[in-house]
Amino acid sequence: MRRSASLITLCMGLVFTSLVQAEALPQRWVSAGGALSEWVTALGGEARLVGVDTTSQHPESLKALPSIGYQRQLSAEGVLSLRPDVLVGTEEMGPPPVLAQIRGAGVQVELFSSKADLQAVESNLKHLGRLLGNQAQAEQVYGQYRQQLDDLQAKLKQVQARHPVPGVILLVGHAGAKPMIAGKGTAGDWLLQQAGARNLADNDGYKNFSVEALAALNPDVLVFADRSLSGEQAMQALLKENPALKASKAAQAGRLVELDPTLLVGGLGPRLPSTLQRLSQAFYPTAQ
Amino acid sequence: MNQLIKPRTLFVALALLCLLAVWLSLALGPVSLPLMDTLRAGLRLLGLPIAGDGLDQAELILGQIRLPRTLLGLTVGAVLALSGVAMQGLFRNPLADPGLVGVSSGAALGAAVAIVGGSWLGGIPEAFAPYLLSVCAFLGGLGVTALVYRLGRRDGQTSVATMLLAGIALTALASSAVGLFTYLADDATLRTLTFWNLGSLNGASYQRLWPLVMVAVGVALWLPRRAQALNALLLGESEARHLGIEVEALKRELVCCTALGVGAAVAAAGLIGFIGLVVPHLVRLLSGPDHRVLLPASLLAGASLLLFADLIARLALAPAELPIGIVTAFIGAPFFLYLLLRGRT
Repeated sequence: MRRSASLITLCMGLVFTSLVQAEALPQRWVSAGGALSEWVTALGGEARLVGVDTTSQHPESLKALPSIGYQRQLSAEGVLSLRPDVLVGTEEMGPPPVLAQIRGAGVQVELFSSKADLQAVESNLKHLGRLLGNQAQAEQVYGQYRQQLDDLQAKLKQVQARHPVPGVILLVGHAGAKPMIAGKGTAGDWLLQQAGARNLADNDGYKNFSVEALAALNPDVLVFADRSLSGEQAMQALLKENPALKASKAAQAGRLVELDPTLLVGGLGPRLPSTLQRLSQAFYPTAQ
Repeated sequence: MNQLIKPRTLFVALALLCLLAVWLSLALGPVSLPLMDTLRAGLRLLGLPIAGDGLDQAELILGQIRLPRTLLGLTVGAVLALSGVAMQGLFRNPLADPGLVGVSSGAALGAAVAIVGGSWLGGIPEAFAPYLLSVCAFLGGLGVTALVYRLGRRDGQTSVATMLLAGIALTALASSAVGLFTYLADDATLRTLTFWNLGSLNGASYQRLWPLVMVAVGVALWLPRRAQALNALLLGESEARHLGIEVEALKRELVCCTALGVGAAVAAAGLIGFIGLVVPHLVRLLSGPDHRVLLPASLLAGASLLLFADLIARLALAPAELPIGIVTAFIGAPFFLYLLLRGRT
């Protein structure tokens, strides 16, 4: 009798604490920042999202949510009209006076890092886990993520001992015209290096190159990210608009690789390991 | 000339329009507040002790978001329209706008320096960045205008024609400098710069409002005192001089008012085109060229037009927001064309 009574107390206690926890956690979320919204979805929080910004394009289902506009130009009343409990975003979110107004209205504003490094991913995931009430899952997701990237690096080290490192450039454009080349310090540069390539462009940031300068780089592999076309169409448009590229080693050998341009903004997202895998396979096709 | 409206009728109509704009600007927004809540929250803001459920939220939205935004819209619209009148009077040309003396391009250059330069320095502290942007834009506008004025002066005389050309040259120079910054900027700063160039009343706060209000009140009190002189200037410079107007002093005051007024407006809300050019023109079609009517009527019309434009800017895509510069031109330009063409037949 005593035992069953204590069991009941225990059960009631458990139910009660989980109820309290569920109540304290924010239920209505607004997310600003592409990679961040992807992580929220990956951690099972998509049902709680009531609005996202224009950079949140993945997964496709997010596009159906109300759009709060560009992450740097949020409108206080617009965000408040969605009656959110929490607004999550990166340090790119703004402008600051609007964030102050949103905070003033009693909405929790949680800031995350958009830096392209693993530490940022780890702390972001832990932070999201706390807010979503599933820390364990967040830890697990980060562990797998880390593992995938570490495995890839280990494999690349072996491969690079036997194969020459390919020289690669990354071009970002609209329907092939006037592509920008990803230089040092860009997310594109980081991606290329992590996938085991050498970035031939040594400029800072994204810059337009003249046709001649493009031809002179003569990459082994060409990675292209097009904002308005995709697949074969994007590749044909790029070669048509930039005939000088046709003479490059990459085009001669048919080593042109497509990259989703949304991967290049807003920090490291959950799709990164598979992308790096795909890129590294394209960089070392004979090593598989 | 028979289609002109009597000044008193015009003032009453514009004052009612302005009141309507203020009311709508306070009552409408992406958050839908019941009419009674808005009224009661308004009374509570005035200090009356009113209790009620959910009134805190209404009071916050009204007091901290909509009211500062409405005041900013009123002031920016009024000061841009007044500066437009001053410039059209100075250049004796209805196509003149405040941009002619370089204040807009100078402010844009200042903003570009603040935005792009700030990101080079590794980012300005968040609390400080908006102020730096405002101060740089204001100083940029003032600096370029002062230079244009200086270039127009020779032997104690200011040549309006030289000023006009100097304004065009310096605007081109400033634009190419902005272009250079645009080229050097990374993606994120580029977007900030683009949005700044389209203007916005978003995120208005009382702290950032008061410098603009002080300048605007000064301009709004000063310019109407010079209405008679502006009327005389319409006849021509030497005619005005013969009528006993100190033309050089008048020119200096007009340039000064424009530089301060537009500089402060742009610093607070970014570049908002069209108001300074078209509002005085519009009002002139209704009131005739007398500056005693034109100045106060433009003030009211500019303030109302900007508030209506802002309503569209914040409601059209809610919960997102449209830059207001897009809206002012989008509704203003066709209306302007209609008035022009109607006047011709």
